[in-house]
Amino acid sequence: MKSVSLNAAPRALCRRAGAKALRTGGRIPATIYGRQAQPQNLEVNAKEMEDLIHHSVSENLLVDLAVKDDARPKRLALVQEVQHHPLTGKVLHVDFHEVAEDEKVTILVAVETVGDAEGVKTQGGVLEHVLFKIKVRGLPKDLPEVIAVDVTHLMIGQAIHLGEIPTPENCELVGDKHISVIAVAAPRTEEEEAAEAAAAADAVPGEVEMIKEKKEDGEEGAPPAKGAAKGAEKAAPGADKKAAPGAEQKAAPGADKKAAPAAQKKK
Amino acid sequence: MPLIPDRVKYRKMHRGNRAGLAMRGHKVSFGEYGLMALQRCWLDTKQIEAARVAIARNMKRHGKMWIRVFPQKSFTKKPLETRMGKGKGPLESWVAVIRPANVLFEVDGVTEAVARESLRLAATKLPIKTKFISRHHMG
Repeated sequence: MKSVSLNAAPRALCRRAGAKALRTGGRIPATIYGRQAQPQNLEVNAKEMEDLIHHSVSENLLVDLAVKDDARPKRLALVQEVQHHPLTGKVLHVDFHEVAEDEKVTILVAVETVGDAEGVKTQGGVLEHVLFKIKVRGLPKDLPEVIAVDVTHLMIGQAIHLGEIPTPENCELVGDKHISVIAVAAPRTEEEEAAEAAAAADAVPGEVEMIKEKKEDGEEGAPPAKGAAKGAEKAAPGADKKAAPGAEQKAAPGADKKAAPAAQKKK
Repeated sequence: MPLIPDRVKYRKMHRGNRAGLAMRGHKVSFGEYGLMALQRCWLDTKQIEAARVAIARNMKRHGKMWIRVFPQKSFTKKPLETRMGKGKGPLESWVAVIRPANVLFEVDGVTEAVARESLRLAATKLPIKTKFISRHHMG
């Protein structure tokens, strides 16, 4: 990866309001950190940074930062992260990771396919990217911008694994060598689609299973066995203690008296 | 098959808010190309299904498609000519809350021209403005 030069300046404006003010003035807030020096807030020109990103193959960039009024004239750094506005895609913030020329680093490199897979062209298969990025370890100058993988020989059901990818010069690929990176899957057959369509037609939409809402269930009466049983237990002893003796001693005679004339009236 | 949740804890929900931009689900994560929402809306399960069918028909069993949104929110509606009150109305449908920058659909395994046309057709089924995006070029 070739390094490109970029101008930066120390930044005093920080936090939300400071960053907003910077952006309206055509600058982007940035930060640099690494093992060699303390973290420092920086600002870079927005247009310069966006041009740099748009003209490169990937967002993996090696830059020679020329920080204004800094003791060191050039600071070698990798672009660690670029934050974009979710809607417009404008660059909001950049993280620079300061690295040494003679020290190995690990970065994520994008995988790109070269050619059309045989399984896709002749058999109608679907090319699947299982891994879009791969971890690569090496010296900053040796790190590739992208890893190009030739997929022309791939047939349906075949895959290219991490161990089969040609390693970039003076670098190593980090990770399990048996993980598949790119694969060609079989296409969906007409029968499968027809079966799915039939299943969709049979399905009755609208009914969603409820996890809770005990109140409604309780009213309906199906599952409230526990509640009902407890209620019955509570009610029963009270009824025995209070109502039963009273009913026997007091109510019974009265009941006889009242009930008897009523019965006579009915007759 | 229309998308609805399998199980929910409570059937009726508050309306919530849909302010701000999508801070999650705003990148192309699975495929090569995507359809991004530029406006906010409640996307109905029927609209999602219509857009899915449009993409599937145009891609003619080539490539792969991902639906990045799911209608997890229920909404209710009072029946016609009903007086106010007497509790919340019956369930009407299920919706996905869409904020600007949400990626709605993704496709892969087809050429850019096919992906563009498929997602354009899908966009005609949606109630909001959208834009075509790719994994490598934002904005």
